[in-house]
Parts: sequence; C-alpha cells; structure tokens
Amino acid sequence: MNARLSSQSIEIFRGLAPYALPLVILFIVIMFSIAEPAFLKPENLVGIIHQMNLIGIMAVAMTFVIMTGGVDLSVGPVLALSGLTAFFAMDAGLGLPIAIAAALIVGILIGMLNGTLISILGLPPIIVTLAMLSVVRGFALIWGGPEWHLIRNQDAFTFIGTGHIGGISFSIVLLVVFAGVVMFAQNRTPLGLMVSGIGENERAAYLSGHRVRLTKIAIYGLSGFGAALAGIVQSSQVHTSAAVYGEFGTELDVIAAIVLGGTSLMGGNGSIGRTLIGVVFLGVINNGMNILNVQLDIQLITKGVIIVLAMALSELK
Amino acid sequence: MADYPLINAQGLGKTYGSLAVLIDANFSVSAGEIRALVGSNGAGKSTLIKILTGAITPTSGMVEVNGVEVQLGRPTEMIRSGIACIYQHSNLAPAMTVLDNIFLGRQPTKRFGFLDRKRQRQEAEELLQRHAIQIDLDALVSTLSTVKQKEVEILKALALNARVLLMDEPTGWLAASDVRKLHATIRALKERGVGIVYISHMLDEIFSVCDTVTVMRDGRIISEGRVADIPRPKLVKLMVGEKLAKDSAQAGKFKRMAGGTGQVRLSVNSLTKRGVFSDISFDLHAGEIFCITGLIGSKRTEFLHTLFGSDQFDSGELKIDGKVVSFKSPAKAIASGIGFMTEDRHREGLMLGLSVSNNLVMATLKRFQKWALLKHKKIHSDTGRMIADLNIQPPDRAKLVRLLSGGNQQKVLLGKWLNLKPKILLLDEPTVGVDVGAKAEIYALLRAERDKGAAILVVSSDLEEVMTISDRIAVMVSGRLVAIHDADRTSLSEIISEVGGVVQ
Repeated sequence: MNARLSSQSIEIFRGLAPYALPLVILFIVIMFSIAEPAFLKPENLVGIIHQMNLIGIMAVAMTFVIMTGGVDLSVGPVLALSGLTAFFAMDAGLGLPIAIAAALIVGILIGMLNGTLISILGLPPIIVTLAMLSVVRGFALIWGGPEWHLIRNQDAFTFIGTGHIGGISFSIVLLVVFAGVVMFAQNRTPLGLMVSGIGENERAAYLSGHRVRLTKIAIYGLSGFGAALAGIVQSSQVHTSAAVYGEFGTELDVIAAIVLGGTSLMGGNGSIGRTLIGVVFLGVINNGMNILNVQLDIQLITKGVIIVLAMALSELK
Repeated sequence: MADYPLINAQGLGKTYGSLAVLIDANFSVSAGEIRALVGSNGAGKSTLIKILTGAITPTSGMVEVNGVEVQLGRPTEMIRSGIACIYQHSNLAPAMTVLDNIFLGRQPTKRFGFLDRKRQRQEAEELLQRHAIQIDLDALVSTLSTVKQKEVEILKALALNARVLLMDEPTGWLAASDVRKLHATIRALKERGVGIVYISHMLDEIFSVCDTVTVMRDGRIISEGRVADIPRPKLVKLMVGEKLAKDSAQAGKFKRMAGGTGQVRLSVNSLTKRGVFSDISFDLHAGEIFCITGLIGSKRTEFLHTLFGSDQFDSGELKIDGKVVSFKSPAKAIASGIGFMTEDRHREGLMLGLSVSNNLVMATLKRFQKWALLKHKKIHSDTGRMIADLNIQPPDRAKLVRLLSGGNQQKVLLGKWLNLKPKILLLDEPTVGVDVGAKAEIYALLRAERDKGAAILVVSSDLEEVMTISDRIAVMVSGRLVAIHDADRTSLSEIISEVGGVVQ
C-alpha cells in the first residue's frame, strides 16, 4: 500500500519534471510578492531582466560548453579585457565597428585558445580555464592599470547599453537576438547534435566521424564571444571600462544559471531555452532577496545552497 | 544437498502506469540448484532480477528468503538476506588488489577505525578454501584476466554471505576456454549449496551448466522444468515464439558467398602494428561476409581500429578498390564509405541519453544537411523507415536509447552504420548480449547488406555466430592470422582447434 503510494507519487513527479522549473519560479514569485508586494511592480520586473542581461548573454554562450561536460571559468576577466579593448580602440580614434570587432575577436581568440588546450592537449577544462582566468586578469591589469577609463562622446557606443528600440532596451534586444541565433544553431544546424553527441559520449562521437576537437574549439570560442559581448554591453552601460570588471563570482553566476536551467555539469542534454529560464530564476532570487533586504552574506549562502539543490535534482532523474 | 528453496517468490507483478512488465511470476531457487532464466529482451527477466536485488519494488507479490518473508524494494535488505547479483559489466576497482576489492567499503577494522589487514586476509583465505577457488589475493585486479575478475566478483558476493548468486550474462565478454573455467567455478559453488540464477542468451551454456530452466516471455513465466527434459529446439521456440524460431533454425541453411562478387574491395597487405599484431594480409570482396575469429586478446579489435583510422598501423599497405589509403581519423574513413560498428555499444557506440532518431543519423549528418541547415523532414522520414526496417521496438523515434533493451540498442547501432550505405562495413562482436530473436534479425540485415554488394568484415568470438553468417572464416591468434577458410569447406571442430592452438 505504502509502496504503491510512493511509486505513484514518483510517477507524478516524473510527469511534472519538465515543468518543474517554471513551477518553482512561479512559486517563488508568489512567495516574494506576498512578502513584499513591490516585487510585482512592472519597474521591478523590468529591473530583474536588466540585472540579468550580462549573465544571460554569457550563460547562453556557455551552455554548449557545459553540455559537453566542460566549463569556462575565464569569462569574468575576458569581459574586462573586452571592455578595455573597446575603450583603447576608440581612444586611438578607430571607428566604432572596428572597436567592437576588436573586442569580440579578443574574446573569441581567448575562448579558442581555451578550446585548443582542452581538446588538443587533453587538459581538464576546469584547470585550463582557471589558469586562463588568472592570465587574462593579469593582462587586463597590465594594460588597463588600476584606473577606470571613462568613455566619453561615443553616442553610438553608449546606445548599446542604454539605448532603446521601440521602448525596449537595446541590450535586452541584443540578448534576445543572440539567444535566438544560438537557439537556431542548436535546433536547426548539425552543431546542436554534435554538441549533445560529444556531451553524451565523446568517444562514440569521434568514432562516428565527428570533428570533436574542432567542435570544442568552436564552442569555447562562442563562450569567449559571449563574455566579450557582455564586456561591451557593460562598458557601454556604465560609460567606463576597467580591468577589475567581471569580478570573482561572475563565472559562478553564469554556471549557476545554466545549471538551474537543468543542464548537467556532467554533460549531456541541455538547451538554450532552458538556460534562459535558469537566468530568470537566478534573477528572481537575487532581486527578491534584495527587495526583502536580505543581507549580502545570507544571499550568498542561499544562492550556493540553491545551486547545489538544483544540481542534486538534475542528477536525481 | 538438502533441497529447500532459498528464494521463494510468489505472484510477483510490476506495472508502470497501464503497462504490465511482469505478471504473476512464481519463482524459486533451491540450495545447490543452477537455474537458467531465459527469454528475449523485454520478456521481464531484468524486472524479476531487479525485484530480487531490491532495485525496484513490485506492484504485487511477496518474496521469501530461507522461509522468511523479506521487505521488498530495499537493496541492503536483499544483500543482508543473502542475495547477491553479479552484473555483466565489472564493478571492480581495477587499480586495487583482489583482497581490497573483496572487502571494498566494509573492511574489518580495529579500534579507532584502523584497517585490520590480518583479519581481512584471514577471512579471505578461509573463503578461498571453503569454495575451492584459487586466486592471488595480492594481484591488482587490472592485471587479471576477465574470467579471474569474474571470480573476484563472485568472491566479493560470497564474502557478504551470499547464498544465492544472480548472474547476468556472466560470459558475455569471455572467450570459450574461459567460459569452461567459469562454469567449473559455478559447479563448485553448487556443490557447496549456493543457489544460482544464470541469465544467459547462450543456449550452449545453459545446456552445459544449468539444472533447471525458467522461460519468460512478454512478462510471464511461460515454462519451467529440468534442462534435461527440454530439447533445444523446443527451448528456442519457447523463448522467441514460433516465427523467429524458424528464422533462427534456417539461419544455417543460407547460401554461402565465399569471395562474393569476386571484386576486391579492401586489400590488406602485411599490416603490422608493433607489439600488437603483425603481418596481416587478406582480400575482402564486395558481397561477402568475412569473419575473423579468435580468443579475446587476439588483438582483433585493435586491428579493426587501424583500418578505420581511429588508430594507426606501423607498416604494411591498405588498398580500397585498388587505391592505397590510410586514414588519419574516422571522419576520413567514413568519407571513403567505411562503417565500423564497435564492440562496446555503451562506451563506444551509442549516445544513450539521445533519441533513437538522433543516434541513427549520428554518423551521417552530412547526408541530412543542406548548406549549414539540418533537413528535419528528411531525418523524420528516413529514421521512421529505418526503425521499421530494423524492427526497433518500441517503434518510437523520440525514445531515448537508454530505455531500449540490449537487442534493440544494438539494432540502433547497426542502423546508424547501414544509414551510411557503407561500401565496407566492419563489425566487432555484433551480437554480444543480444537475445536470440534480435540476433537472427541482425544476421538477416547483414545478409541483405551483403547481397546489395557491401563488403562485410566481422570480428566475433561466438563460434556459433561465425559458423552461421560467414562466407569465409579467418582465425587470429595472438595478433597473427593463422588460417583462412571458405566457410563451406571447414568445420566447427577445425576452427576450434585452430583458435585454441599454437598460442604464442
């Protein structure tokens, strides 16, 4: 009798699994809005999306890396370096397109270097990108120094982070378009299948004739691209660039959003859509705790606990 | 030995939603009995076993162990009451010694939690003596042969005071001579009153080692009896049902096509990889099935990998349709029309967490794309047709491969390579851990592919299989080809003597 009940509840649990995350978000939103009605105000909800803009861009870009069982810890410093690149390029009188292209290329190259070290030399992603985190931060500090570089009289550049199109922030549009493009690549091109194939069984992917190394270099390049794009958006939003941007913890937020979306850190299934839901989840938690005046230390602890719980849940099924 | 039931299960049933996977099963094993549990994939064997190991809770029924009813659905409870399971794949820690493996996770300790190595060794030696097993306790498991590793797993179970051993396909990865050794061990256990449930698709083994047999089909136990009372053809019929039994019986009567169409597809000349295999030469023709047989460890798998570009040979020459080739990667080999169905479908073949249809197109993505875009419609229609052609059950392209039975997984893996329409198809142990029905189907698919003109190279240790499907047979011993025969002009006994002979 008891056994039957529990097996039934397991069945129900399984059936709900795909909707678990949206349901949990809904539940948390309700709890927050009961505790603090201001939470539901439109300004606040828009605020959540703005707060998560940068994390969203990086999480979308890193999802493939996580799906292959890898990780990219170097996104924070890449974000900073990209902002500095844009600043120095514009400072040198180069045009906006060249400045942006240069910043993005820096990100892509660092990502591809990560991918190359990981796939050609067979080094563990966590070590390679941790080392890269250190190296890139060092370069950024040498290049940018300790000071904050003001970006003045660059209206077009400023538009990226602060402008609006049809009442919607351009930076949000950027995130949506970028997510759309990556989602398209996942669902409509062989890349999506190759990425899930590698995540599921890298050896089988290789024996099926996939260019595993090339694919890995490409997806780490994409992650670097995301970090660089986030760097451009941030510099544009705050009109400055600095070597210390993308501070320690940025990479954790990005990984957390992806994991909360249900992608396993062990590799395998995952999707851009789910990552976006994870981003919203993380944003709701951050914002809700801010609104409720939860102290920062408690916030950090809560976030850590939620991440571990989410991972445990995703490994359970 | 006294003939009392160690396990007595009554009325076991298991349903998932409206699907009944096990229906009213009564099952018992006595002390000193070796009971075969047979049936096609999906017959309900694994459900029954999982209930007995406590991995799943049945929807109905009860189990008594030694006359005492046990609480179901609790793995620790089942182990405590003396039921142990030896799985097809090894669960040992290869870098540790035999002794440490036997006691892994529950070493006897002295005060303060220090290991009591003396007592551990003493207990292990008693165990060896009691069960007349000879093994070096200090050897690293990784240095042992596969059959010795099985014995270590058995010892591990016995150290837990197991009185019933459930053995799932225990010989799946063993060579013929090792099978005999394992069977000797099993018989010795029987003498000492251990009850054994022997799950296998290998009829030869069932007839040589088992006392009684339980046959399952479609979730029910459909027959039980003494092995001596059931003639072999009847057992096959019971297992697979009438139609497939006929197919399987006919398998031996197919026409052999030694030399195929006569056109040489793949020409192998003195291929050598130092320290692995040497001086291998043969021609593979279009329209023939060429089998390389031999013991496990004769380096046939390694040889196949060098043909496919996933490993490199040191010297020698490889020609396809008369042109010299050598492949730096599998991608290059596949582009030249070579398919390779690897031996270990879980480790090297399938992406278990992906759908049937994704797995089927995995090696041929280029065929399903236009510029950079996937042609989802073509994937949909092609995989639908393949699922029907391959008779993959259930016929659901979105089903995760993990959820299929072994035989159906193997058909997916084969389908992935047939999708390539390969000129040359390499297969490594194509039917390991596959039931009789799926085996017959796989053989039929290979013959059809041969008749379409493919050159097929099969590596297999299963002599029944080799004698059934091959047009020509080569024997490999320790990295050398020692003989090549037309299948029509040789006999099982000749092959056996060559396989076992002239080692080193």
